[in-house]
Amino acid sequence: MNNKLPITRLGKFFSQDDFDINIQMGQEYLHGDLNMKLVLYRVDRQKTDNDDVYAEVGMDEIKFFPPVEFNALVKIEEPKNSSYTKGLMRYNEPGNMTLSVYITHLNELGVDIRYGDYIGYADSEEKLRYYTVTNDGRITSDNKHKMFGYKPHYRSIVCAPTQEGEFRGV
Amino acid sequence: MGIPKRKNMINVYGGKDTYQGEGILKRREELLDMITKSDSFLPDSILHDDLDRGMLDYVKNTFKVVSDGVQIPVIDKILTIQRWGEFSNNWEFSDSDGNVKLPFITIIRKPDVQYGTNPSIQRTIPDRHQFHYATVPTWNGNSMGADIYKIPQPIPCDITYDITIVCNKFRDLNKFNKLVLQNFSSKQDYTQVKGHYIPIILDTIEDNTPMETIDGRRFYMQNYKCIMLGFLIDSDEFEVKPAINRSFIINESMGGGSSLNKKIINKSVDIVISTVIADGIRSMFTVGETITVLFNVAINGIVQQKDVHYSHLGGTSNIIFSGTPLQGDVITVSYYKGKNNKMYDQHGNELQLGRESFIYNTLNLTFTLSEKVSSMISVTTNGLVEYGDDNYIIIGKDTIELTGEPVYGSKIDFVYLY
Repeated sequence: MNNKLPITRLGKFFSQDDFDINIQMGQEYLHGDLNMKLVLYRVDRQKTDNDDVYAEVGMDEIKFFPPVEFNALVKIEEPKNSSYTKGLMRYNEPGNMTLSVYITHLNELGVDIRYGDYIGYADSEEKLRYYTVTNDGRITSDNKHKMFGYKPHYRSIVCAPTQEGEFRGV
Repeated sequence: MGIPKRKNMINVYGGKDTYQGEGILKRREELLDMITKSDSFLPDSILHDDLDRGMLDYVKNTFKVVSDGVQIPVIDKILTIQRWGEFSNNWEFSDSDGNVKLPFITIIRKPDVQYGTNPSIQRTIPDRHQFHYATVPTWNGNSMGADIYKIPQPIPCDITYDITIVCNKFRDLNKFNKLVLQNFSSKQDYTQVKGHYIPIILDTIEDNTPMETIDGRRFYMQNYKCIMLGFLIDSDEFEVKPAINRSFIINESMGGGSSLNKKIINKSVDIVISTVIADGIRSMFTVGETITVLFNVAINGIVQQKDVHYSHLGGTSNIIFSGTPLQGDVITVSYYKGKNNKMYDQHGNELQLGRESFIYNTLNLTFTLSEKVSSMISVTTNGLVEYGDDNYIIIGKDTIELTGEPVYGSKIDFVYLY
């Protein structure tokens, strides 16, 4: 049985009600005004048949739970102009995507975002890009992720773009 | 400069007839069974993933270290760039933050696999030349023969692994180090991959513990760099070729009565047909076994005349041509190979070989032989083989009629058993 510790710090000028109403106002802005929608593909690590030696799977062989739509604040870095070898074999792909998502929102949806999961984000009506989670932002002990030092209220999730050979949502 | 002397016989069993209490032959068969256990005669493929699996099994089964009453877990996979796979392989011993709990042992393979340094299988044989591995008897219901199984020399390869222990107790380091040094006390240790013993050499031991970190997380981390001296065997490179086949030829047999009567002999004479390709140099060819009764010798399907085109000394295996067959000529020798020169029909009657020749003079297509035919071996017109039913029929017990008219003056040869 997990012990629950009541959070009473900052009690003279900040409470759970204040915490909740701040989140509601933030969500109103993020979900209502900005309305940046993403799709989360959580990898089913038990049902995915992987390689005995390398734990790899082939194309379209990753099994995932039903995709879940969620809202987050999206920041995508500039695309990188790179090459595979000494200036030859150029490639260009989007920069990493950083998401800020309310913990309450994830709890309401009943999902968790884990290292290695996939996230789809629509660039345009025709183009949906997939990213893989490289930092699931599970550790939220720092002041930045705590509302006035009271309790953590959001997670920062860093994702890197994936190749079609790794994942394409099917 | 003389030819370097080579040691042809290396006595690996110390002159004894037994090895570890068992007969040497039995031990050899046991080793062969180990490397060919999934099929009959050829070894299993050994590729990179098999070698990696062998390394994982070696570490998991050899380096069992108990810390605080619990065996230190070994991550039983070679971790790759697929991120979710990393977590799926250590979730059993992860904490609530998703981090792997200490202590643990992991194996990291360097992606580059270098050409091998194992001296026993280095570049000794060029061009992927195929070598004899086994001769396997075959039987397809009609003919008995053999297949020659060939494989090329395995390709040596060196694979480097970092076996890393991460822990937070010095005693765990000591236990692990003791096990490693004990197993590599003779420089190398072995893992078994599909029956083959693959050597592993301990290269270096280095400590990557972040000791200088005053403020950060502290733990012990040691890398044991090992090199596996493996080799690759690819079943796609195996070659199976048929050797000389032995055929049973079903002959027509004469029965009683005046009308034509055909029946299949249940126990036909076992006729061996041996084929050799001429090299344009030799004039003498051997079939590799004693020819008891020689029926025919043909070059490119044309039957040759004994003592004119070739000679054969009874009881030997050699055919000696008076001239040298051209390179690529197909020499076919049909003969009876028995323990002695006695042949018997299905009733146990002894058979003799008859050879008779006729010159066609346009008067008659029917030829009467001097003996009653028991089985017809061959009918040839000017050396070309005539086939029964299509080219000739047997009438009565000793009469053969050609169905087509040969050229005037043609020489008709009959070889038969009576």
